[in-house]
Amino acid sequence: MKALIFSIISFSFLFSSSFDFKLKPIKLSDNSYYFYGKKEYFSPSNGGDIANCAFIITKKSVILIDTGSSKEYGEQVKKEIRKITSKPIKYIINTHHHPDHFLGNAAFTNSDIYATEFTKNDIEQNGELYIVNLVNLIHDAMDGTRIKAPNQVLTTETLNFDNYKLKVLYMDGHTESDIVIFDENSKILYTSDLIFNKRTLTTPHANIDEWIKSLYQLEKINYSVLVPGHGIASKTKEPIKENIAYLNFLENTLKDSANKGLDIFEILSKPIPKEFEDFAMFKEEFERSIINLYPSYERNVNK
Amino acid sequence: MKYIFFFIVSLFLAINLHAKNPVSSPTFIDIIKEIIKDDKYIFDDKNIELSVPNFADNPTQVPIFVDGKKIKNATRMILFADLNPIPEIIDMQLGKLLPVVSLNIKVAQETPIRAMILDEKGVWHIGSKNIRSFGGGCSVSSSEAMDTDYSKYLGKTKTNLFQTSSKDIHRLKASIFHPMETGLVFGNSEFYINKILVKKADEVLSEIKTFSPISQNPRFTFETIDNSKNYTIEFYDNDGNEFISESK
Ligand SMILES: [Zn+2]
Repeated sequence: MKALIFSIISFSFLFSSSFDFKLKPIKLSDNSYYFYGKKEYFSPSNGGDIANCAFIITKKSVILIDTGSSKEYGEQVKKEIRKITSKPIKYIINTHHHPDHFLGNAAFTNSDIYATEFTKNDIEQNGELYIVNLVNLIHDAMDGTRIKAPNQVLTTETLNFDNYKLKVLYMDGHTESDIVIFDENSKILYTSDLIFNKRTLTTPHANIDEWIKSLYQLEKINYSVLVPGHGIASKTKEPIKENIAYLNFLENTLKDSANKGLDIFEILSKPIPKEFEDFAMFKEEFERSIINLYPSYERNVNK
Repeated sequence: MKYIFFFIVSLFLAINLHAKNPVSSPTFIDIIKEIIKDDKYIFDDKNIELSVPNFADNPTQVPIFVDGKKIKNATRMILFADLNPIPEIIDMQLGKLLPVVSLNIKVAQETPIRAMILDEKGVWHIGSKNIRSFGGGCSVSSSEAMDTDYSKYLGKTKTNLFQTSSKDIHRLKASIFHPMETGLVFGNSEFYINKILVKKADEVLSEIKTFSPISQNPRFTFETIDNSKNYTIEFYDNDGNEFISESK
């Protein structure tokens, strides 16, 4: 019966217009804004709007940090920016290779897109696969999404976009290459997916030790506002501390369980520690992380 | 509208036909007939704990855990997935092993999975769960899925012995590097572990048949009430290779 209702609903979707993300830029400072992505997993009902992206308006142009998960999302970002300024969106930065952060590139035909060489290569090699996966998860909202790979390789520690300077921090841990942008003019720190605020971390390409190291580096920075990859912006260091605590918990759980010879499902049946109870998606992401990461910890027992 | 009505009616009919099967599928009856012929079976989710992920993101590595210890003196355990092109996963003559196993499998699509345990009276108890996944796991070539250099690692094994929370139950975890090719991908012939022997010195504690839907670089967990400090696990593949692993 469910399947029947579902197919009727999806049928009616065929005749409806494109997905409405109802985007509203949130102001961070005079010239800086971000779009808040829902603390959820990809689904047809959120259209893939699960990651944050941000923009900075400079004297001559607009700098966009990440572009969301589809062409349609990128188009609607563009429309919202247009309501605030008519300056051209000349510069885009892709912080890392995850599809919820770069597939909106397709909507920007006249921008230079910056990423590290690793990220650029991964997008070129695996981009199509990411699209296929997201079509499975999001359906219609992916319509028209094609790969638009970065055309500029990030190498310098400072970017100078029409005389607006940004600091680039090259880190890793969430993926093999994560970019953090520090805007010293506004003291806003754009951390990409190295920080999830009150949303459980995703780890498909994670290196836990490297990630923790990166977080300690970020903690030292004197920022006014931190814009995470997922979750709301924060004026405190709390999100960094919470993420360090979670990664330590995850790693200790993996090591301990492997030494005791536990099975994946025995780990997953344990109660959620109190301090992470208010993290969105804890059960789902913790399960994913354990399933992905545990085999390598099991292999390392007694080594 | 007529069609919708017809559809709903046939749906209810289908549900009633499989009233006792907690996760029905069109292939279940045929598969079970083929495996156990006319043996008696009952659905018994109460006594068989079968764990699968809430959603299997990676259809080439889906972890499964079966604990059928509530069925005393079990003699044989078989796992199969109804909708996989090669349904059978593992067939264990338990011997001195308990009806417990953990391993990763490939799924071709969303499918019910069954754990069948034969009790001392000759009745099969069946535990059922549904594996939710987008699938594709059986037709993906192993060597493509991960670029392990098999000439270097093929047959590299490891076996660890653990004490469980229950004093007299010991847990064996064994792993082996092997591509576990299903042969379903054009250009790849089947190449997989098809037999495992669990031994204590020369005594065979259990003989296990395995099939190609088991994931690449398989890892197995078994449990035994045998009280030895040393076990040997022998892996055989369909190409005539033999790999031996001793517990630590
Ligand atoms: Zn990410």
